[in-house]
Amino acid sequence: MSHDAGPDSGHEPAVLRMGSDIIRQFAHWKDPDHAAEEVATHISKFWEPRMRRELLSLVRGGHADIPPLLTSAAAHLVDDDINHEEMQEPSGG
Amino acid sequence: MTLIHEPDFGTPAVDSTDSAGLATVTVDGREITVPVGTSVMRAAREAGIDVPSLCATDSLKAFGSCRLCVVEIEGAKGTPASCTSLCSDGMVVNTRSDLVHQVRQGVMELYLSDHPTDCAGCARGNCEIQSMAATVGSAEVRYGLGGKSHIEETADTSNPYFSYDPKACIVCSRCVRACNDIQGTFALTIDGRGFDSRITPGGTDFLSSECVSCGACVQACPTDALTEKSIIELGMPKRTVITTCAYCGVGCNFKAEVQGEGADSKVVRMMPWKDGGANEGHSCVKGRFAYGYASHDDRQMNPMVRDSIDDEWTVVSWEEAIARVAEGFKAIQAEHGVGSIGGISSSRCTNEEVYTVQKMVRASFRNNNIDTCARVCHSPTGYGLNQAFGTSAGTQDFASVDVTDVMLLIGANPTDAHPVFGSRMKQRLREGAQIIVADPRRIDLVRSPHVEATHHLPLLPGTNVAFVNAMAHVIVTEGLHDEAFLRERCENVDGYLEFIADPEHSPEATAEVTGVPADELRAAARLYANAPNGSIYYGLGVTEHSQGSTMVMGMANLAMLTGNLGREGVGVNPLRGQNNVQGSCDMGSFPHELPGYRHVSIPEVRAIYEDLWQVPIEPEPGLRIPNMFDSAIGGSFRGLFVHGEDIAQSDPNTAHVEAALRALDLVVVHDLFLNETARFAHVFLPGTSFLEKDGTFTNAERRLNRVRPVMPTRVGMDEWAVHCAIATAMGYEMSYDDPSQIMDEIAATTPTFAGVTFARLDAEGSMQWPVNDAAPHGTPTMHIGSFVRGLGKLSETVYVPTTEVTNRRFPLLLTTGRILSQYNVGAQTRRTANSLWHPEDVLEVHPSDAEMRGIRTGDVVELSSRVGTTRLTAQVSDRMQPGVVYTTFHHPVTGANVVTTENSDWATNCPEYKVTAVQVAVVTEVARSEAAEGAGSADSQDLAEVRA
Repeated sequence: MSHDAGPDSGHEPAVLRMGSDIIRQFAHWKDPDHAAEEVATHISKFWEPRMRRELLSLVRGGHADIPPLLTSAAAHLVDDDINHEEMQEPSGG
Repeated sequence: MTLIHEPDFGTPAVDSTDSAGLATVTVDGREITVPVGTSVMRAAREAGIDVPSLCATDSLKAFGSCRLCVVEIEGAKGTPASCTSLCSDGMVVNTRSDLVHQVRQGVMELYLSDHPTDCAGCARGNCEIQSMAATVGSAEVRYGLGGKSHIEETADTSNPYFSYDPKACIVCSRCVRACNDIQGTFALTIDGRGFDSRITPGGTDFLSSECVSCGACVQACPTDALTEKSIIELGMPKRTVITTCAYCGVGCNFKAEVQGEGADSKVVRMMPWKDGGANEGHSCVKGRFAYGYASHDDRQMNPMVRDSIDDEWTVVSWEEAIARVAEGFKAIQAEHGVGSIGGISSSRCTNEEVYTVQKMVRASFRNNNIDTCARVCHSPTGYGLNQAFGTSAGTQDFASVDVTDVMLLIGANPTDAHPVFGSRMKQRLREGAQIIVADPRRIDLVRSPHVEATHHLPLLPGTNVAFVNAMAHVIVTEGLHDEAFLRERCENVDGYLEFIADPEHSPEATAEVTGVPADELRAAARLYANAPNGSIYYGLGVTEHSQGSTMVMGMANLAMLTGNLGREGVGVNPLRGQNNVQGSCDMGSFPHELPGYRHVSIPEVRAIYEDLWQVPIEPEPGLRIPNMFDSAIGGSFRGLFVHGEDIAQSDPNTAHVEAALRALDLVVVHDLFLNETARFAHVFLPGTSFLEKDGTFTNAERRLNRVRPVMPTRVGMDEWAVHCAIATAMGYEMSYDDPSQIMDEIAATTPTFAGVTFARLDAEGSMQWPVNDAAPHGTPTMHIGSFVRGLGKLSETVYVPTTEVTNRRFPLLLTTGRILSQYNVGAQTRRTANSLWHPEDVLEVHPSDAEMRGIRTGDVVELSSRVGTTRLTAQVSDRMQPGVVYTTFHHPVTGANVVTTENSDWATNCPEYKVTAVQVAVVTEVARSEAAEGAGSADSQDLAEVRA
């Protein structure tokens, strides 16, 4: 048996890949602003500050591949406009 | 402690709540009251009246074969067997009459006439024949010993762990019945009739047979016929330590039977503990036999250091190693900041050890960069069940399956991965319960002896949420949901019902995506919804997806829709992969939560620990494992403590993981072996095996089991003490006198563990959390009357396809799983004789996919994905559906994770191990003559080679 290390798949920043994974789960919400708040709450609850800073930096820098909902969520993060009650609910995971 | 001989009452207990009242019988002049349905043998033995027997044991139904247990019953003819005679009120029994005595002596003489006079088992005390002869007073054999007998027959020693010697066999059928009734494999039978009858594992030897080496037959055998080879080699054990298995999340209790004391202790055998809450006396091949890794030569016994990962290791003292760790971590923090280091706790270690790792990180590292290997298995369970019910844990105990009517099994293979519970499921299925199997692969529970799934739904990997939504759609649109339950106990009812009733969720609409025929899915949904008790069991085939958490919530939706929560026989039940996945999550190993699943941002929770630990707690979440890797490559994360996890083998996209590990300035590995991760380590700290640990594991049913040391640590320091020493060396004084004090601290700070102490666990055997004032003896069934979060939360679980899709270059989907004999990355089982059954990982390929590529069983094939390439031996198998290939990940040389991607669950970052787009091509063809002869599976070829 043998194996060869293949190319790294991480061409896009990890925070962007993760952020995109999250927003796909909320893209169906009828109220986009509410969806953005939920995404921002999730990111606040689970992401380490340097990851949040990197995401905001990408948004501010106008990274080409940032979906609109993630950009809206970033705005909620900047304004601390998140669901603080949900932040404190137990979550596991 | 001396050797514990568990009492054997001969026949199973009768549940007094199920019986038709009580019966009072008189046995040898003593009045005894028992539940109606209790055997005379059991009634007598419970009262301390010894009734001899050979074919009876209380783990099996009465058989009435050996005729040694005969008694006289007033009003009954002859001398009936006491094991098959049931007590009735007013019955008068005589177990010691002259007639009974004569009959027993006559029967015993017949046994002795065909039993070796020099039986080694009788001599060592592992065979009941001579002792039983003494009990019944048989001193002579009138028939002589020169007639036809089995004494010249040779033993079957093919199994690595036990032998079968027909000379000592009395054909009592206990082994056959144990295999059938307890294990449910039906591997053994009695061949021949009368004097020629003998036990056979299906016309072959034990190793080549269907036998799964669970040991139930060996345990049941009353003679030396089926005996552990360790007993033959080492002799009988002298003392017993009751402890808990360190393999899967079932959490079986064992009697470790030992010779010697202290450092000279040696395990002779592991016997499943009849009073074990999870296993009730049963075991599998791993827990029963595969403990040899603890004393394997590969085990590292000394701390070691090196400056560079290209250097050789240097053995050093504990003091030097700990100083090296502390100074290294402090130097990194001084240069790169507090958040530049972190730790990973282990789901294989005790709650107390996990707690000290997270405390070391939080109080000494002063950050929340603590994560656990549960990240890569059941983190979506924690998230999803918490969202739905308010608790990150399964809802039932294992015994709940005994009263279920329909099991919905999704993405789990219990007969391989959780064998003892798999056997329990099969017992219930043989009693008439039904099972729906939703799995891309045709696992054994789809069809095996005396088990056949009512529905097998072979959904395509990555389509779980579409599938579970379709199930819910049928239930709602056909009016099969429990409206009263929903209105009383759930929230978002109208919103969810409107969502799920949309035709886009119908089985007809989703069939093209899931691959599950609509009619079959509709029938399955009706079966589950209409069951008096419908239960859901699931495994990593649910969690290890990009929508793992959504799927967990989807299953919770199903259970709430049908009112299948809050009582026995129902619920949503994760089958946890490792022995302490539940516990490692409970103990605060997640980077955003303190013990008990309380977010670090809550001031009142932080205050509990700040007051006790006298340090400030960081209020922001820390890094998860994949975030640590990304930050390492990015340069902001520089030091990592890895406790009992082989991330270089187990985590996805090996090239990415290795790049991260190479980027770190200091990697500390605390483990039994120099594993794959240790290739990148600068400090190695030797760990303790489960045989040396003192603490607790928490199994999949939230059961806290005691882990007791069979011997003192063989490496000089207990693991929790190592963590304390590192923390202290870094400037935060941390110490305990013994692990019970750690549990006391857990109980004092975590409401769900408030009533847990080692003393209480020792007294009660085990307890399922929550254990507190409201539930002082624990909580077998959760959410009775109301959910922990109040109202159950129905979530609108939109199906979002994974981004890992097939195309012309990668047209197949790879999914992964476990095999019975091996365990996870194989660090333990590969160092035992279990590798006889599975010496390498193989790639299962459907015949049509194989034909298109010219692949035959035994060919070496190249498996390529978007991130990497590896090679495996192919096994053509119709267990898979066309378009899907399957392998295990037990051997590092296979490198299964070389090809898996960084895709992960959106909520928890649990890797999407179960869906990887791949291509397969032949590299080296097996000799075509072998293939043409139908040489069978690669496994059978390997077995033949091993045995040759």
